[in-house]
Amino acid sequence: MSEEESPAERVAIGISFGNSYSSIAYTSGEGKAEVIANEEGDRQIPSILSYVTGEEFQGTQAKAQLVRNAKNTVAYFRDFLGQDFKSIDPTPCHNSAHPLQHESTVAFKIKDKEDDTESTVTVSEITTRHLRKLKNSASDYLGKNVNAAVITVPTNFSDAQKEALSKAAKDAGIEVLQFINEPVAAVLAYDARPEAKLADKNIVVADLGGIRSDVAVIASRGGMYSILATAHDYDVGGAQLDQVLMDYFAKEFLKKWKNGGDPRSDDRASAKLKLESEAVKKALSIGSSANFSVESLSKGFDFTCSINRMRYETISAKVFAAFTRLVLNAVEKAQLDPLDISEIILAGGTAHTPRIASSLASAFPGSTTVLAPSTSPTAINPSELAARGAAIQASLIQEFETEDIEQSTHPMVTVTPHLARAIGVLCISSDESTGVFRHLVEAETPVPVRRTAIIATPREGGDVLVKICEGIRVIKVTKPEPKAKANGKAENDSDDDEDSDESDEEELREKTYKVENVLAEAALKGLSKGAKVELQINVAADLSCTFFAREVGGKVAVRGAWKAPGKA
Amino acid sequence: MTTVQIGLPLPVLSKDWSAPTESNNTLTAATDRNIEPVGPHFLAHARRKRHKRTFSEDDRI
Repeated sequence: MSEEESPAERVAIGISFGNSYSSIAYTSGEGKAEVIANEEGDRQIPSILSYVTGEEFQGTQAKAQLVRNAKNTVAYFRDFLGQDFKSIDPTPCHNSAHPLQHESTVAFKIKDKEDDTESTVTVSEITTRHLRKLKNSASDYLGKNVNAAVITVPTNFSDAQKEALSKAAKDAGIEVLQFINEPVAAVLAYDARPEAKLADKNIVVADLGGIRSDVAVIASRGGMYSILATAHDYDVGGAQLDQVLMDYFAKEFLKKWKNGGDPRSDDRASAKLKLESEAVKKALSIGSSANFSVESLSKGFDFTCSINRMRYETISAKVFAAFTRLVLNAVEKAQLDPLDISEIILAGGTAHTPRIASSLASAFPGSTTVLAPSTSPTAINPSELAARGAAIQASLIQEFETEDIEQSTHPMVTVTPHLARAIGVLCISSDESTGVFRHLVEAETPVPVRRTAIIATPREGGDVLVKICEGIRVIKVTKPEPKAKANGKAENDSDDDEDSDESDEEELREKTYKVENVLAEAALKGLSKGAKVELQINVAADLSCTFFAREVGGKVAVRGAWKAPGKA
Repeated sequence: MTTVQIGLPLPVLSKDWSAPTESNNTLTAATDRNIEPVGPHFLAHARRKRHKRTFSEDDRI
C-alpha cells in the first residue's frame, strides 16, 4: 500500500514536521484549511516518542515522560534526519535520549521492547514511527486512509535531508507529493483566505520556533513567491525564553529554601522546572500573570511562585532584542530597507509572545503590518500557518500525476528571470527630474508578466504623453524643520501607550522612485474631458515588451514595443 | 491581477513632440531567481511554461 497511489485514490493532508512540534491539516469541502486535533485534543503535537515496557507513547503523553523516563524518550530529532553524526548539534537532546553515531547515520539507544532490552533505533526509523502516528491520527479524524502528504521543510534543508524524510514517510505509508518551504507555506496560508487580495508586496516571514528561528524575505508578485534572502539562528528560540524563566524560578526557589539545592543541577528537577517554565511562558502570552507551581521540585520541597508579564518581558528583553535583530538582518541581506516591507508574518509557537510582535512593529515603519495575534485582528494562529499552507498545496496538487508534479517543480520551470528594476509611467510632467514615477511592475517580478493601470489625465483632456520608464527605489531622507512639530502633532495623537520617544531630530525617511532609463514614449491625442487612460504592459520571458494605451471608453489608442536586451 | 489605479495625471503633450523613431532602449538585464513552486498562480505559470502558451492563449482555454 505504500506503492504510489493513483491520483484518484489519494487522500492527501498537510504535515508540518518540526523539531519541537508537528501539526496535521486538511482542507474541508469548501477549500478551507483546518488543523486536525489528535486523540488527545492537541493541534500542536510534541514531536516526542517515549517507551515504557514496550509501549509506545507520542505527543503530550511522551513529553510527560521527560521527567521519569528521560533515557527512553526521543525528542528534537527532526534536524538530525539525513545528516552525518559529525554535523549535528546534540545540545537540545541533553535531557532526553542522546543521539549516537550509527554507521553513516544518527541513532538512539532506547529500551523499546517489552523485555526491556536496549535496541539501536535510527533517526529515520524514529521519524517513520512519528509520521505513522500522525497519519493514523489524521486517518481516524477523516475516516479515510491518508496515503499522501505535502510536508513543510526549512529553507536550508539539504537534498539529502529531503530524501531521507521522503524515505521515512514512504515507510510510514505516506507518499510525499511535494516538499514546500516553511515560510512560503505561511504566506500561502494567508493568501488562500477568501478575503485576501492579490498585491505586489515584500513579505518577511519570521518563523520563531523552539530550538531555532528562521527568517525569510519573500517577494510576492501576482501570487508568485520568490525568496530574496533567508537567515537562520539556532541560538534564539523558545528554548532561550524557557531558560530565562528557569533561571528566574530556580533563583526564587533558592531564596525560599536555602538548603533545597539548585533544581538546575539535578536532571529530574531540571526537567520538571523546564516543563513548568514552558507552561508559564505560554500562559503569559494570554494572561498578564501566571503561576509557577511544582510539587517536590527539589529535595522534597514544593514551590509555588507567580510572575507577571511585565517582569517576564524585563528579564527576557535580551532574547526579544535578538529576534528583532535577526529580522532586520534578513531585510538587509535582501538589500532592502524596512520601508520596502509591507507585511511581517509571524509564524511558529514563539510568535504568540505579544512583546515580540510589538518590538517588531516599532522597529519597522507604520506602513508595515505585523501579522500576529496581538497586533492584528485578522491574524491566523502562528502555530498553524505551516500546516495550513501545506494542506492548501496538497489540495491543489492532489489530483496531479506524480510526473506532473515533478515537472512543475523542475528548475526548468522554477528558475525565471526577475526584473532588476521597476517599470512604470511618468506622471504630471514630462521632465524626469520633476515628474513623478508611478510603477506598474515592481522590481523582482518574475517574467513573463502582464500588468494594467488606469491613469488620470489633465482636467481638460487634450493631448497627453505616455512615457514609460524604468525606475529604481531610493530612500529619501529629510530632516524636519525644527518648528513644524507643534501643528503637525494634532493628527497623530493616537493612544500612545507605548514608549514612543520621538525626538525632534528624528529624520523622515520616505520611499520614492528615481527614473533611470526611458523605455518608450507615445502620444494620445484629443482625449475628452476627464478621460482616463488604460495602459497595459506585457513583458515576455526574453524581456521584450509590448505596451498598449487607450482612452477608457474612447477610440484613441496606441501600441508599441521594444526589443529584448542584447538584440538591438 | 487587479488593475492599478494611478490618480496623478499624465503629462500634457508638448507642441513640438514627434513620435520617436526606433527606440534602442531596453530593459536592464534581469536576474535569475527561483520561484517557489507553491500556490495556484505558480501552477498556472508552470502550465503556461510547459505548454509554451502566452497569457492570452491561456485565458482563452
